[in-house]
Amino acid sequence: MESGPAEKSKKYDRQLRLWGDHGQAALESAKVCLVNATATGTEILKNIILPGIGSFTIVDAHKVSGEDIGNNFFLEKDTIGKSRAQVATELLLELNEDVNGDFIEETVDNLLRNNSGFFQNFHMVIVTDLPERTLVTLAAQLWESDTPLLVCRSYGLIGYMRMVLKEHTVVESHPDNAIEDLRLDHPFRTLTEYCNAQNMAEMTKKEHSHTPWLVIIYKFLEDWKKHNGEMPRNYKEKSKLKEMIREGILKNQDLVPEDEENFDEAIRNVNSTLVPTKSKPFWILARAVKEFVQNEGQGRLPVRGSIPDMTADSERYIQLQNIYKEQALQDIAIVTNYVHQLLQTLGRPQDNISDSDIKTFCKNASFLQLIRCRSLAQEYDPATANHADIAMHLEDTDDDDLVFYILLRAVDRFYSQYSKYPGCYGDSMEADIPKLKACVSKLLQDWGITQNVKDDYVHEFCRYGASELHSVAAYMGGVAAQEVIKVITHQFIPINNTYIYNAMKQSSITVQM
Amino acid sequence: MAASINGVLEQTLQKSINSCKLLVVGAGGIGCELIKNLVLTGFHDVELIDLDTIDVSNLNRQFLFRKEHVGKSKAEVAKESALKFNPNANIVAYHDSIMGPEYGVDFFKRFALVMNALDNRAARNHVNRMCLAADIPLIESGTAGYLGQVTVIKKGLTECYECQPKPTQKSFPGCTIRNTPSEPIHCIVWAKHLFNQLFGEDDPDQDVSPDTEDPEAAGDAGEVALQSEAKESVAGGVARKSTRMWAQQSGYEPEKIFNKMFRDDIRYLLSMENLWKKRKAPLPLEWNNLPNTAQDGDHSAQLGGIRDQRVWSICECASVFAESLKLCKDQLMNSGDCGTLVWDKDDEPALNFVTSAANLRAHIFHIPLKSKFDVKSMAGNIIPAIATTNAIIAGLLVMEGLKILSGNIDKCKTVYLNRQPNPRKKLLVPCVLDKPNPKCYVCSEKPEVTVRLNTTTMTVHTLEEKIIKGSLGMVAPDVEIDDGKGTILISSEEGETEGNMGKILSEFGIRNGSRLKCDDFLQVYNLNINILHVEKLKEDKEFEVIGDIAELQAQASADNTGPDTNSQEDDDDDDDLIMEDEPTEITTPSRKRKANGASDADLSTKKLKRSIDANCQEDEDIVVL
Ligand SMILES: [Zn+2]
Repeated sequence: MESGPAEKSKKYDRQLRLWGDHGQAALESAKVCLVNATATGTEILKNIILPGIGSFTIVDAHKVSGEDIGNNFFLEKDTIGKSRAQVATELLLELNEDVNGDFIEETVDNLLRNNSGFFQNFHMVIVTDLPERTLVTLAAQLWESDTPLLVCRSYGLIGYMRMVLKEHTVVESHPDNAIEDLRLDHPFRTLTEYCNAQNMAEMTKKEHSHTPWLVIIYKFLEDWKKHNGEMPRNYKEKSKLKEMIREGILKNQDLVPEDEENFDEAIRNVNSTLVPTKSKPFWILARAVKEFVQNEGQGRLPVRGSIPDMTADSERYIQLQNIYKEQALQDIAIVTNYVHQLLQTLGRPQDNISDSDIKTFCKNASFLQLIRCRSLAQEYDPATANHADIAMHLEDTDDDDLVFYILLRAVDRFYSQYSKYPGCYGDSMEADIPKLKACVSKLLQDWGITQNVKDDYVHEFCRYGASELHSVAAYMGGVAAQEVIKVITHQFIPINNTYIYNAMKQSSITVQM
Repeated sequence: MAASINGVLEQTLQKSINSCKLLVVGAGGIGCELIKNLVLTGFHDVELIDLDTIDVSNLNRQFLFRKEHVGKSKAEVAKESALKFNPNANIVAYHDSIMGPEYGVDFFKRFALVMNALDNRAARNHVNRMCLAADIPLIESGTAGYLGQVTVIKKGLTECYECQPKPTQKSFPGCTIRNTPSEPIHCIVWAKHLFNQLFGEDDPDQDVSPDTEDPEAAGDAGEVALQSEAKESVAGGVARKSTRMWAQQSGYEPEKIFNKMFRDDIRYLLSMENLWKKRKAPLPLEWNNLPNTAQDGDHSAQLGGIRDQRVWSICECASVFAESLKLCKDQLMNSGDCGTLVWDKDDEPALNFVTSAANLRAHIFHIPLKSKFDVKSMAGNIIPAIATTNAIIAGLLVMEGLKILSGNIDKCKTVYLNRQPNPRKKLLVPCVLDKPNPKCYVCSEKPEVTVRLNTTTMTVHTLEEKIIKGSLGMVAPDVEIDDGKGTILISSEEGETEGNMGKILSEFGIRNGSRLKCDDFLQVYNLNINILHVEKLKEDKEFEVIGDIAELQAQASADNTGPDTNSQEDDDDDDDLIMEDEPTEITTPSRKRKANGASDADLSTKKLKRSIDANCQEDEDIVVL
């Protein structure tokens, strides 16, 4: 039984405030595949099922083991010996009645062999605990079909995640500290007219101190340009402009400057407003915006149409707000026209791209992001591996978390050779240490790296015995699910491309492998 | 892969995991994840406390709960869900407030470790004090949207939760709210006050009628006569009675309340002509003659589940106003004789009431209208919350716990979770724990604090409720005047000092320089309060708490005014009122509904790491929480 729209909006209220209804809609129509219902795997699924992913499919040929039930919340004690895919699917489905889920009890190798198009049906494939050889084959196929892939694992006290995106575009990147789009360097006509009509010399004390800083900077910039021709460019010139603004503060009878907060704001905002208005382009929308930039925009992007808070009387604040809003609407109308023309040339209907999409695109025009990850094939081929970075990290400090990347690759090599992970059986620990050391050396040799990895790390990795600690799995489940949501909603910038978590030190790094 | 923790964790640590007793405070977003993590890490002995019951809006992340659990105790249901996984675990659940007298120091002393998964400052303050008193390590956590934080508190070793002052809530001048709103938030605050006036507890600071003492209006003397006259006739003498009484007498008749709030009071405001010389004058609304406003053609309204994002027309507002008024009245009647309602953003009629009233007022003052979705955010101080952040933070919590249990508390960190990797490519920023603040009024050797207030106007009741309990976080204080006579001002024993409550501080000889000795037996906490008398405080605050006396003296000499002069008054003599939000709603646990709910986070616990100390491994992008 699915819940109605009203109940849904209640249930998802706290997250709609992060990615909006369009982000939610994208999530609800997405299909994801999880390979292997390990603790890490089911924790990731849990965290995307709760917010309402459309559907999931678990591919897993394993039977539930005693070890599984010790660390996996979604495998109960009495299910030992049953299909891990089935048990996990059933328990996970209890989390959210609006999510569909199914499972396939089959190995990835068999699926790749017998059902070659299978994995391409998903919006994203999430992989845990897959031998290197199979992983590389699967990754190559997904890369070919442009299907996003996320590899995640928890190994002892180390977490690892690798994002593989051939090409990913982000319209709403939600930048942390966006610079306002105010065009004071190239004021448009209505803004010029408005500011020119403001006569600060004739204002009352109250009006003067409630004149928005936008207007103040505009006025002093005009003054500046009259004397200097160009905009202030360097620190010295900007400081001079600030000084001019400070001089403009009203003085009382004793020639002491009044307390004018709006002038302080103007001075504070000089630097950020003088960052030149720049543009960054992409596809049909990007092309349309490009046309705009080349023609009507005279080299600049559509106006974003919003202004920040400032000390001002509401009348003038609203007037300014409207001036920017109107200009943005005009710019959007022009871009919309280009979009429709382009769609026509491409023989596609006009409603192919909605008005709200055009609006969102224009508003985010300066934050658009294009992410291209390196493929797994590139990473795993010693010829194209990023050995320069690895060497640099090894050189850097003796406690760089990148060392765990090398060890994870080494245990995979160990597995390829011995069909088990080092230290997996208590008694083999001593024998496995030199073998793992050899794997590490071989890897470094392949990459042409001369430095070595400290023995302590090799010992520690043998001690881990490939165990999956629940708290590490839970942590990685949170991190990885967040990346899945970013990719599916096309909001926020996903990690490019490798993330390593060190639970001992509570530290983490992001690197491009 | 193998699951066993043998090998990964040291033998002694495994032993203590198997044998130690833990307390988890809060079974909300972080709490659910935490309980799961603890059980799966091998902890057998866990006690869990939460006062809250399950709400539909919890289900997107609090995965131990299902739809059929809505309305049940979070602690009980979380316990049942966890037991299903490990029937051998010994989990005790308390559906109760951690601030209750049953949970004294002896209760806390039974645990090896306390983990906080709370959503409000009052409960966090309290648990902080209890753990200091019991000398038990505490792990504190919080999330807000994509941001999160975990930190460790240990008496004498680290900063306590209250070592750094927390920023106070945003406030708006009273006249702006009552007379001259200019932004949607002003109307929303007013509408919440109206709700409290009609249905909630009486609070004179939340008056919704025109403020005749607005300095801006009082400019021309000729108006004053008219004003007092108008007050009688137009406002119908309501100012004399409480809005609640008046509403009751009029039977909560929507038309009457509507016309008073949106027509008569506005007409009255119009009579204060000075206010409208520079502003666009408000337009009163008439119940029987509502304007036909075009509806906002927002198409997103058709998308499933988000019709709350459409802005209502004025006619719709009026009908929602009437409808929700009736529903709230019914709720009030059902709550018994002197019952009151507490405004709750997740309560449909309460939210509808505030949305419609705020928008009607916004229309009158030519302010843009807001959708119910937006109003909910603004009025409810909603902190966005998702499963992923809670999972991350709960994972970090357990790792810090393991460090403490293996005797490595010195290796614990404050860990901040960023929204995305910072410019130095770090998603997590671990910082060395700060040393205790020697001047902290909670954890220092001789806790002491200075409070500025007017001793000739403040009542003992206000001192107790707003300062000692509200601001200084005590729950059951005994207060004695340090006057050599040992005069008892406030007793935690019921009824003992009831007679003092309405009296003014100066009646007990309290004046500038007086000293109060406060003792909270539950928190095992003694605090000396130094009183500084001032006639009037900046922005018309009732009081001001100053932790550090040296700081105060420096400030005073800079102001060039002695602390007892009456020239502290600001030019801007608007009276400020605090915009209430969840944290302040729960400051007086004895009366309020929520005390240690644990939905997710408490934004106001934001500890601003303004000056990044040398201990930090990172020097940028530190998440504040
Ligand atoms: Zn302290």
